[in-house]
Amino acid sequence: MTSTGYLLRLMAVEEWRLRSHVFGGRRFALFPLFVAGVAAGTAAFFGLANADAGLLIDGLHLVVAALGLQVGTVGLVGRDALEDLLGETALLLFSARALPVEPRKLLVAFLVKDVAFYTVLFLLPLTVGLVPLVVLADVPAARLPLLFGTTAGVFAVGVAASVALVGVHTRSRLASTAVVAVTVVALVADGGRLLSVTPYGLLSGVTPAAVAGSVLLPLGLGAVGVALFRFDRRTPTRTAENRFGRLRGRLGGADGQGLLAKSLLDVVRSSGGLWKVVFSQGLVFAVLAVLLAFVPDVVPIRLEPGLTVASVLALGSFTAYNWLCQFDDTGFYLRYPVALSAVFRAKLLGFCLLALPSGLAFLALGGLVFGTGTMLVGIAVFAPLSLYVFGVTAYVAGLEPTELLFDTPVFAAFTLAMMVVLVPLVVAAIVFELWPAGLAVGSVVYASLAGGVGLVLYRRAGPRWERLALTGDA
Amino acid sequence: MSAIQTRALSKRYGDVVALDSLSLAVGDGECYGFLGPNGAGKSTTINILTGQLVPDDGEARVAGVDPVETPVEARRHVGILPESGRPPSFLTVREYFEFAAATREFDPATAADRVEAWAERLEFAHKLDTLCTDLSQGDLDPIMQERVKEFFETYRAAGNTLFLSTHFVETAAEVCTQVGIINRGRLLEELRPRGMDGDALLDRFFASVDEDVAEATLARSSTG
Repeated sequence: MTSTGYLLRLMAVEEWRLRSHVFGGRRFALFPLFVAGVAAGTAAFFGLANADAGLLIDGLHLVVAALGLQVGTVGLVGRDALEDLLGETALLLFSARALPVEPRKLLVAFLVKDVAFYTVLFLLPLTVGLVPLVVLADVPAARLPLLFGTTAGVFAVGVAASVALVGVHTRSRLASTAVVAVTVVALVADGGRLLSVTPYGLLSGVTPAAVAGSVLLPLGLGAVGVALFRFDRRTPTRTAENRFGRLRGRLGGADGQGLLAKSLLDVVRSSGGLWKVVFSQGLVFAVLAVLLAFVPDVVPIRLEPGLTVASVLALGSFTAYNWLCQFDDTGFYLRYPVALSAVFRAKLLGFCLLALPSGLAFLALGGLVFGTGTMLVGIAVFAPLSLYVFGVTAYVAGLEPTELLFDTPVFAAFTLAMMVVLVPLVVAAIVFELWPAGLAVGSVVYASLAGGVGLVLYRRAGPRWERLALTGDA
Repeated sequence: MSAIQTRALSKRYGDVVALDSLSLAVGDGECYGFLGPNGAGKSTTINILTGQLVPDDGEARVAGVDPVETPVEARRHVGILPESGRPPSFLTVREYFEFAAATREFDPATAADRVEAWAERLEFAHKLDTLCTDLSQGDLDPIMQERVKEFFETYRAAGNTLFLSTHFVETAAEVCTQVGIINRGRLLEELRPRGMDGDALLDRFFASVDEDVAEATLARSSTG
């Protein structure tokens, strides 16, 4: 009989090999250092700006809970999702199809491994990165171990809640919708009491109820999820109307080899369809709108809305590039008489068709909320900034942008490239009131220059990735 | 004139020698069977011939095109049946054929005809005069294996050139006009299998590879 402990050890080795060998070799070991660095930078900013450290800690728990919810679903949505992300990947999790291993045991081992993995490699460095708060914001050093415990706990609750919800979902979609609705209503009605029995509640005081809730909640939710989970052995099927030819015809000379039509169909037919582009930018816009309304209460600054919203929306357009590239890779195109430059051109056209109209629509909506004048500046900088994001991503990550997030040096290079352009614009947004006309013109010129750099990088991306692929170095 | 020609092709992956000065020539209308164990260098050769990989050294020419200098042009002139790879996730079968035709920039009428023919027969049928195949026939059921073999024979009988990497010695004996045996990136032997049956060719294959393995073992023990 295969023990859960044995499976857990094997899966831990598998996870490390998957991350380290698929995503940048042993450089993946730098990932925790990178996380700690980013956390330390953010904490130092809060400390120096004399901002409310409690807000940062609350935000941290929110992000960690969301990450837990996401991690809890990735392993469970099935082999197709993993293949779309990573190529043909067979994990131990799926071995119950061929080997006499109890699927629930595999599921438990997989979840425990995921919680342990993220706790050590992500949450621990994140907590270490909060040290500047001790120096600059009078947070007691003794509180850091507690913060590590509460973030780990909140992450585990997030993972377990996802598993429980997916477990319910495999039995009844209606029931899972009802569970979500009840949870949302309970959080809105009396979120404080609900949160007091989660690991987050330990921050208000280490009481027996909070300790018991922190331990029992993730275990209970996880147990419910594993018990209810119904393993689906069917191979999912998709059907679709033949639209490639018509779409390519409509795109005319812009799509001689059908590369744009293929990329657009990939986005339209994958989960969420075209709406995922609108939804992701809408989410960014909504969060920004709320933050812009409340930031002056937390930090004594007033950000210029047009510049701020346009900069962050342009950064978020990375997701549109990701979706355009998620369902193919360099190796696929190398089998056809297609130059990778032509593939990147198709991705750029697709990016312009998807990310730009949606982002511009939200900026126009922002005109109603924040005023037309400020949003005109935003509209002027959005397109060139988006082109910069496209160019940098295409050059740095090629047609496999998902891997960028896991290869620490590549991700660090991407982050640095983004900061080089976005930080001056954020500074301009902060001091905008001092010299509105000059900073508006300056920002547009600066964004246009960035757009020019993006264009150069986009043009170099094709030859670069073609050379790497043909030499076997990609 | 050779439809396919390589001269001293070499390729290394780190410390691993994938191809060691490989030189071969395949005439127009020939079917060249490339036999070798896993890791012998068959796929590396095909990837170079079809413009998917550049060698560290050496030259290649396929259908009059240099796949190292002009890889996209090589892919335009040579049909490729890869060892693995799945069609795109979100295209229907017909759309996938339309996409393949679009990448070759067929005129609309030709593309429509070809796609119709493909969709009806659900078979590969490149209208190109050179085809490199790394297809793993072992993944096919016996009926499809037979149909693939028939396709190879028909394709070659029409005067086309076929470069066939295979583990199926019987197929090589029946279909190929010339066979090359490769191991550790080196071409060990070339022969014309006409008149040989699968067993005889298999014996030659084992004899060549065993001799090469013995030679390599001896070389390792003498340097070690």
